[in-house]
Amino acid sequence: MESIDSLKDELKQVSQELSSHKIELHQTRGYLQSILQNSRDMIFATEVSGLLISFSKGGEKVLGYTWGSVAGNFIKDFTSDPLEFERLMAASQEEGSAVRLELPFRHKDGHTVYCDVSLISLTNTKGQNIGTIGVCRDVTRWKKLQEDLIRVDRLAEIGRIASGIAHEINNPLAVISEISGWAGAVVSDAKGLTHEDREELETAVKRIKEQTRRCKGITHQLLGFVRDSTPDKTKIDVHELLKETIKFLKPELRYLPIEIIFNFSKEPLSIKSDPNMMEQVFLNLITNAIYAIREEGRNDGKVEIRTKKTDSGVEVSIEDNGIGISEENQAKIFDLFFTTKPPGKGTGLGLPICQNIIKNLGGSLSFKSESGVGSIFTVRIPFS
Amino acid sequence: MSEKSDIKVLLIDDEQTLLEYLSKRLLREEFTVKVTFSGEEAIEVATNDNFDVAVVDLKMPGIDGVETQKRLHEIQPFLQCIVLTGHGSIETALESGQEDAFQYLLKPIDYEILVKTIKDAYEKKLESQNVRFREHVEEIYRSGLGAKGIRKAINKLRKIYGID
Repeated sequence: MESIDSLKDELKQVSQELSSHKIELHQTRGYLQSILQNSRDMIFATEVSGLLISFSKGGEKVLGYTWGSVAGNFIKDFTSDPLEFERLMAASQEEGSAVRLELPFRHKDGHTVYCDVSLISLTNTKGQNIGTIGVCRDVTRWKKLQEDLIRVDRLAEIGRIASGIAHEINNPLAVISEISGWAGAVVSDAKGLTHEDREELETAVKRIKEQTRRCKGITHQLLGFVRDSTPDKTKIDVHELLKETIKFLKPELRYLPIEIIFNFSKEPLSIKSDPNMMEQVFLNLITNAIYAIREEGRNDGKVEIRTKKTDSGVEVSIEDNGIGISEENQAKIFDLFFTTKPPGKGTGLGLPICQNIIKNLGGSLSFKSESGVGSIFTVRIPFS
Repeated sequence: MSEKSDIKVLLIDDEQTLLEYLSKRLLREEFTVKVTFSGEEAIEVATNDNFDVAVVDLKMPGIDGVETQKRLHEIQPFLQCIVLTGHGSIETALESGQEDAFQYLLKPIDYEILVKTIKDAYEKKLESQNVRFREHVEEIYRSGLGAKGIRKAINKLRKIYGID
């Protein structure tokens, strides 16, 4: 009897322990689940070969796939560098864990997602490897921000170097200009030159003068880019300014099959900004639009200039039905010295300068373009 | 009013080749030209000779354009200075150069514009000189000197102002 009683006691004790373990297990599972459900990180588990056996909600967000569609796949197949991932996996099995920064994954949409990855090897009670846990933090935005910062830095550096060069080139340029002027004077005073020789020499001098003027244009533009002049703000009627700007282009437009369409907002748009700077930007954008139409060789060219009042300022968009910008070039159009124009026609300074000016005025410059269809550039300027 | 040969121009720039050709061109147009390669040299020259217009480069080794201009003004108060500056330094030039230059020109200079500016500067010089001369003359008349004294004083003035 005594033994039955003692067995009963033991059983009771065991069942109590069991239920407390059950509670603990329940709590732990809930804890893990809430991590898996709520963490923005991609957390996954695989068995030894790397087949996915668990995939967190965060993972669904990071890669764009649902758990249902990744289940049973190899996690390495979602990276852009499966070999590197396998190496990392092997390292984690050897060492117990392994970390790799900025490992590229492929999002369902096709774009690349960079993750800081740490892998932890799972072992059973005998110390055998039974799988891997991975915790991956999406650092794509951070990486992009870093790259932008580096690019901005480099742009500023290029600007500084370029302005130094421009200053240095200005001096010999001035000398060349004077010498050619003198040569011109000598030719015009010379006696005994044949008519042909005189003409040859006069043309040569004229050409030198034109080319030095061209250099001068480039150096001045460059120096204008680097110089952070403070805007001289006055009250501007945006519509008036745009119409004035078009007047500059009248001689060029007269012989081109291009229609300029003003699609202005009904109410007058008045802002406080620097009229010269804004005019430079609009002139540049409209000139680009005209160039794009000529490149496309259209005889029904259209440049539409639209204005709109927004909560914080005005929006001016300039749309053309020209050649458009290829996807590849879209990433480069604000780079200093990037141009698709033939030598002598473009400096690759226009758009970076425009962007700089607009930034200086507290606004923004954006664009949309499709190859063969056209481009639309939008300038946003605050009221003051 | 301004026969070019009457206009005496002082050129100051450390870029020697530039001045060599610029001076040839100006001489051909019958300006009277003196070339100097530094502010120091220009000041030395200006203590001995009178000039109407000086063309000064802002950036030079030794004393710079602003300082040169200032000292030239002390020696020859009616001398008009045209200051040549690099891009972007106009503002700095204007700030530091309270010495009222006749005009700031951006380098590389456009020859035609320079010639026109020199002529304009010369007109300004004559004008301000004449105004000042007349003031002096009036002062002399008011001073209550006798006829002889007045003539003497005016002759002295003529000499100072280089008026024959």
